[in-house]
Amino acid sequence: MIEELLVALIVLAAFCFSAWKLMPARRRLQLLLALDAWSARRPSLARWRERSLKPRIARAGGVGCDGCASNGAHHPPSRPR
Amino acid sequence: MDAAVTPLRMALVGVPNCGKTALFNRLTGSRQKVANYPGVTVERREGERATADGRGQRILDLPGTYSLNPTTLDEAITRDVLLGRLADTPAPELVICVVDAVHLPIGLRLALEVKRLGLPMVLALNRMDVARRRGVQIDAARLSAELGVPVVPTVAVKRGGADALIEIMESDRWLVPRSVTAPAGNGVSAQDAEQLQRDLQGLLGAAGYSPPRDNPWFARIDALLLHPFAGLVILLAVLFVMFQAVFSWAEAPMDWIEGAMNSLGEFTAAHMPAGPLASLLVNGVIGGAGSVLVFLPQIIILFFFILALEDSGYLPRAAYLLDRLMGSVGLSGRAFIPLLSSHACAIPGIMATRTIPNWRDRLTTIMIAPLMTCSARLPVYGLLIAALIPARAIGPFNLQGLVLFALYSAGIVSGLLVAFVMKHFSKSRQYSPLMLELPDFQWPNAANLVLGLWERVKIFLSRVGGIILALMIVLWFLSSYPAPPPDATGPAIQYSLAGKLGALLQHVFAPIGFNWQISIALVPGLAAREVAVGALGTVYALSAAGDDVSGQLQPLIASSWSLATGCSLLVWYIFAPQCLSTLAVVKRETNSWRYPLIMAGYLFALAYIAAFVTYRVMR
Repeated sequence: MIEELLVALIVLAAFCFSAWKLMPARRRLQLLLALDAWSARRPSLARWRERSLKPRIARAGGVGCDGCASNGAHHPPSRPR
Repeated sequence: MDAAVTPLRMALVGVPNCGKTALFNRLTGSRQKVANYPGVTVERREGERATADGRGQRILDLPGTYSLNPTTLDEAITRDVLLGRLADTPAPELVICVVDAVHLPIGLRLALEVKRLGLPMVLALNRMDVARRRGVQIDAARLSAELGVPVVPTVAVKRGGADALIEIMESDRWLVPRSVTAPAGNGVSAQDAEQLQRDLQGLLGAAGYSPPRDNPWFARIDALLLHPFAGLVILLAVLFVMFQAVFSWAEAPMDWIEGAMNSLGEFTAAHMPAGPLASLLVNGVIGGAGSVLVFLPQIIILFFFILALEDSGYLPRAAYLLDRLMGSVGLSGRAFIPLLSSHACAIPGIMATRTIPNWRDRLTTIMIAPLMTCSARLPVYGLLIAALIPARAIGPFNLQGLVLFALYSAGIVSGLLVAFVMKHFSKSRQYSPLMLELPDFQWPNAANLVLGLWERVKIFLSRVGGIILALMIVLWFLSSYPAPPPDATGPAIQYSLAGKLGALLQHVFAPIGFNWQISIALVPGLAAREVAVGALGTVYALSAAGDDVSGQLQPLIASSWSLATGCSLLVWYIFAPQCLSTLAVVKRETNSWRYPLIMAGYLFALAYIAAFVTYRVMR
């Protein structure tokens, strides 16, 4: 039973990840903005919103190569030099 | 202005191929693509750096332009950013005008135009090391005095090569308020051109500029490489060696990875109790994603050649050679670089069409870009060629390498044919000539090569470990459930959702020789081409009714497919637009659904017809 549950969770996570990656960029940005608006009302999420969500929104707002699954090299470094 | 809170905005401006992106990477620590040919940057890129005292600086890398009177979309981006016309991008507070010191007059002309906008500016004399070697004389202090802006030498590709520039960027000297002339109209008018030329000559004289010595070797090499016949023979030979190497050199490392995958599959199957989790790991993860991982060595070898050719300055020569051929089928000479980029991935190639000023020419290039063989096709080609074509020597050549060469050539030839047909439907007969500055030859930089290859390895591994792995897990689920009835006689997958879908699709694909396993694999393969290889791995692993076949896809295909089926699938992959991201980018670049739909329609139709003919002829 636990094994089946674990497999179901893995499959569900893989399905969500695939859907997220293959979603049109505009729809992905809309979802991120909705998540941003929701998390803005929760002070406990402020740190996560600033550190994780905002940079992701900035990247999702990008165009062209940002929409390609091949693109892994075009993100600026997380720590400015 | 609170400099500690709001990052200062700076923009890198210069003519194409002067080293802006290399300088951008040096300043920000980014790893944007650089190459020894113009037109690599077609949209603004942004990076950040912090000064020694902790202030933020935001740096924009703008597309190269020869003038502020744009003729193409990418040049218009540069002009609009400098004039503050973009809603989300205020005008920069400092312009870093990058000039190739070897070819100072060309860059300095643009610098004069930028200076007239009235924005604070620094002039970076880039590639000073090469300029000195070639005897170029520039009195930077006098140039600075005449121009009225700081002038600093830089060598963007060397560590510490931008220190003098960074020192100026971190000082507040340039922040002193000055009378800024509001720009009017579209930058420099035609009437200003003569005055601009006189100012340029005055500046060059004042700076004691002497042009570079011609390298007699470069002239001889160019005479050979640009020769209408010998040049083409050399180009074909270079491509030929490249595809031979992809198969010959990759054989041993591919065998190691395949062996490791087999061992991992056997170990997992032996040490886990039979059940859904073991099946997921062995058939879905190792059999699916693992079968794509095997092609990493081929990807590395292909990109080693592409990066080395890029860095050496050979590719613009190839563009020059092919210009007449491309013109004869109705393609603009400027289409070469976008089509070349499409051999890595169609998406940057389609974006690079922004350098083509004529809309019809641009549309034609966009429409044929997916026909160029992108690196995602390599795992599919590699698998099928290794399974179906014997590794026999034909003279000095490897037959498998020859077939790969033929497949790449088929993509190029069919692209040219489609362009030729489109030319006859087009009302526009205007030809845009290729205006290309041939860069100097240089030995490929080893650090650039290693870095470029490392980036490709990371991209490939993140795809295998990301979207491919996720899709393989979903496919495993669809291929395993619902479970077969107790009285089932065939493999379990035939009773699953994917099995039923495969049986349905087989009616469509049977005329071109595809079995139900291939039909299933094509569906997740719509996301990206190489996913089909993983999908075949998963589907065959589950079709084997319990036998461990992970990592042994190649012999299975060799024994169960006919040559006609294999060749039909190879031909299908030359044409089929099995990449959703490409269609999405076409929609964005053309601002219409019409063109991606036309593209998908004509490419699927071509794929089906070509695969049908291949299968019927070879059967």
